[in-house]
Amino acid sequence: MSKSLLRTAVPSSRLSRRGILAALTAAALIGSLAACTPSPTPAETNEEVAVVDGGELVIGAEQEPDCADWIATCGGSIWGTYVMQIPTMPSVFQTRLVDDEWVPVPSDLVTGEPTAEVAEDGTQTVTYEINPDAVWSDGEPITSADFAYTALQIRDGDDIFDKTGYDRITAVDVSDPQKAVVTLDSAFAGWRTLFSVYGIMPAHILEGQDRNAMMADGYDFSGGPWKIEKWTRGTSVTLVPNENYWGEKPHLDKVTFLFLPDTTAAFQALKSGQVSVLAPTPQLDALSQIEAGLPGVKSQVDARSGNLEAIWLNNAVAPFDSVAVRQALAYSIDRDAIVKRLFGSLGIDKAQQSFNSPMVAPFASDDFSQYTLDLDKVDELMEGDGWKKNGDGVWAKGGETATFSIKTLAGNKRRDLTVQVLQSQLADAGFEMTIDQVTPADLFGTIAPEGDFQAGIWALVDTFPDPTLSATFSSVNIPSDANGFSGINFYRANIPGLDDLLTQVDSEIDTDARIAASHEGDALIAENVPSLPLDAVPNVLLWSEKVGGPLQINPIEGPFWNLAEWGLAG
Amino acid sequence: MITFITRRVLYSIPVILVASFVLFWAVRATFDPLAKLRLAQDPTALAREVERLGLDRSVPEQYFLWLRSMVVGDWGLSTRTGTPVLPLIGEALWPTLQLAFWGLLIAILIAGGISVYSAVRQYSLGDNLLTGASYLGIAMPAFWFGLILIQTFAVWPKEAFGLSEPPLYFIGLNSPGQTGVLDYIRHLILPVAALMIALIASWSRFGRAAMLDALSSDYVRTARAKGVPRRQVIWRHAVRNSLAPFVTVVALDAAILIGGLVVTEQIFAIPGMGRLFLQSLVAGDVFVLLPWMIVVAVAVVICNLIADIAYAVLDPRVRLS
Repeated sequence: MSKSLLRTAVPSSRLSRRGILAALTAAALIGSLAACTPSPTPAETNEEVAVVDGGELVIGAEQEPDCADWIATCGGSIWGTYVMQIPTMPSVFQTRLVDDEWVPVPSDLVTGEPTAEVAEDGTQTVTYEINPDAVWSDGEPITSADFAYTALQIRDGDDIFDKTGYDRITAVDVSDPQKAVVTLDSAFAGWRTLFSVYGIMPAHILEGQDRNAMMADGYDFSGGPWKIEKWTRGTSVTLVPNENYWGEKPHLDKVTFLFLPDTTAAFQALKSGQVSVLAPTPQLDALSQIEAGLPGVKSQVDARSGNLEAIWLNNAVAPFDSVAVRQALAYSIDRDAIVKRLFGSLGIDKAQQSFNSPMVAPFASDDFSQYTLDLDKVDELMEGDGWKKNGDGVWAKGGETATFSIKTLAGNKRRDLTVQVLQSQLADAGFEMTIDQVTPADLFGTIAPEGDFQAGIWALVDTFPDPTLSATFSSVNIPSDANGFSGINFYRANIPGLDDLLTQVDSEIDTDARIAASHEGDALIAENVPSLPLDAVPNVLLWSEKVGGPLQINPIEGPFWNLAEWGLAG
Repeated sequence: MITFITRRVLYSIPVILVASFVLFWAVRATFDPLAKLRLAQDPTALAREVERLGLDRSVPEQYFLWLRSMVVGDWGLSTRTGTPVLPLIGEALWPTLQLAFWGLLIAILIAGGISVYSAVRQYSLGDNLLTGASYLGIAMPAFWFGLILIQTFAVWPKEAFGLSEPPLYFIGLNSPGQTGVLDYIRHLILPVAALMIALIASWSRFGRAAMLDALSSDYVRTARAKGVPRRQVIWRHAVRNSLAPFVTVVALDAAILIGGLVVTEQIFAIPGMGRLFLQSLVAGDVFVLLPWMIVVAVAVVICNLIADIAYAVLDPRVRLS
């Protein structure tokens, strides 16, 4: 079993673009599924404002990427993807809105949908027909050699963020410069993620060089509408149009992203006109700023997000090694009340009912909706499992109480509030919860992989519109000495029958069968409550009236996915 | 004087060495230098790094390996950025030094002036007002004061008067693509003001007390009795003698500023030492944190050295001791 690029365990203070580890993925035409199952509420459609050619924009960026070598572990920042990778790196699939669903569609790098075939011996071949007009910023054509270089750098490289899919590649046929034929040793349903999440790198520039050193501080090549003009560490990144881009060229002469990590200062910068656009994560201070009103500023809020927060329960340690206790915990919490308190000001008041994020809504069922606040049910489950309330009103059994600690990331105000509300609700139900603040490095470096926790609260991030829960819940992805601590099933979930269903979701080519398997898996997960989904974190975009063009949040590629179409309002 | 300075410099070397070993030991004991690499879950790469960094050796051995590399300019690579640490710290030090320089210079002048005025006019209305203001300045959090400055001098005028741009900027030390002096000054005023308010408040209290001590001393009384003009008594005798303790406080605060501008740099988006520390701490980037601490420790030693020299200039008895 291998990994994919789709799902990431990260702190929201530093969202990661790709998976720390992930799961098998399967290809699917999600657009065709929209009619099959309910989809999340669509975002408000923004009125497109006419733009003039020329001019400059300054945009606030919440975080600075650590490096610009996108395939390396240092290149995992989502803001790096937003401000540099997507504008400059060509990719095979882009996420676009089709019939009101964000789905992967072939980009103008290729002449059409690549073909993927599985042979009788189980090997898979994917053929990419490269657009003959596609060139790098130095005028050199983009060829199959670039596909081969990228594939092998990822497959064979050290310090690569995630090799899922690429680790199955056995050969890349480059005999025709306009056609790349990639062979995988087994069927990989998530083949659309190949050359899409990471993009393509220029072999003629990087071959034989130290790629990481050349790209770490930015690079001067581009296969997208923009080029990186300058990256001043700690201050800003400036993009200028790539004159050799074969598609539609940008309207603006220059775009500068200023790094503004402090939310309050970022909002003041927007109000004072020092920046014209912000895409703040909906932390409490950001919400209060939005509520307070921003004169001359337009906004969009979109609940369709791949960023899913949950309460993660360690299934291998007490008290959560009991299914009954986990179910009782789920009945102890009013999740809708928590979500309303967190995001009510943005109009979002419903809890997430599946570990499949809203971005892959057709694959998600709503089995967790059965878990609403019900203290009678809590009593029934706990007493059935041999627990009795002690004099302090806390459940006790065999000399132990239902007391546990929850790990949360220091400095995340939204989660601080969440755990405080949780603490209060759980106390009413007879659980005693203490709060333990930790750093991201400690949490994801040692605590979670080693299973040294009882409960935690953090987010998973989908980075491609394709479903997968294997990384999250397959038993093979439980980190251990035996597997070199691989996998992000930190919560040691091991549900009988689930591994097969998740594998089916990852490898099933038939879409209906894939959906059925996904729903079946969701039901099994909800029944066993290995953890508890809380909310999908909505995306927010704010911009001044001086900015024109079709501004719209793309839940995968971020707010600047169509920056080339932006301009100064005409 | 040269002998004095040479002796003080030589004394500083073992101090820095001991401090660096203590810091090295403390950082090694609390941070896992390979935490990020463990996320990649590549046992081969992990083993290679353990060997390369000598993590399988004793702490003293690791320390001497690390010290040798530091001395020859090989400060290693940041695990966060994958880039060399030395230029990272160098780039962060420069904006911090600019902020600290202007903040200290202006704060010294203003606090010094307030100290003399308040001491000479003790319990006057002006003294009482300045005393109240200094208490306010000490109590006011830098974060809050910075936001007030931003609101008052950048956001409000722009909104109230419909300006196309704010009169003062507060993001970074230059506008994107700008290198002009005027642009620099418009960026510098607010962060320097936010930085120096607490310094002025505390230094003026300290300076006032030192000045009052000097004014009530025997030699001042003697000078007055001998008929020396009041202005001359104040500036030539009292001020000069109250400067020595004042300089000590300024030097200590200056050293702390090198690493302590976290709040100011965060609010005003200035990529200095404070922000580098925060970023490295959150990322658990031990390869930046350790040299960062050494740089701050060296800054403390240098500032103390400067204070000692100034002390010696102001009070010749120091050289004899």
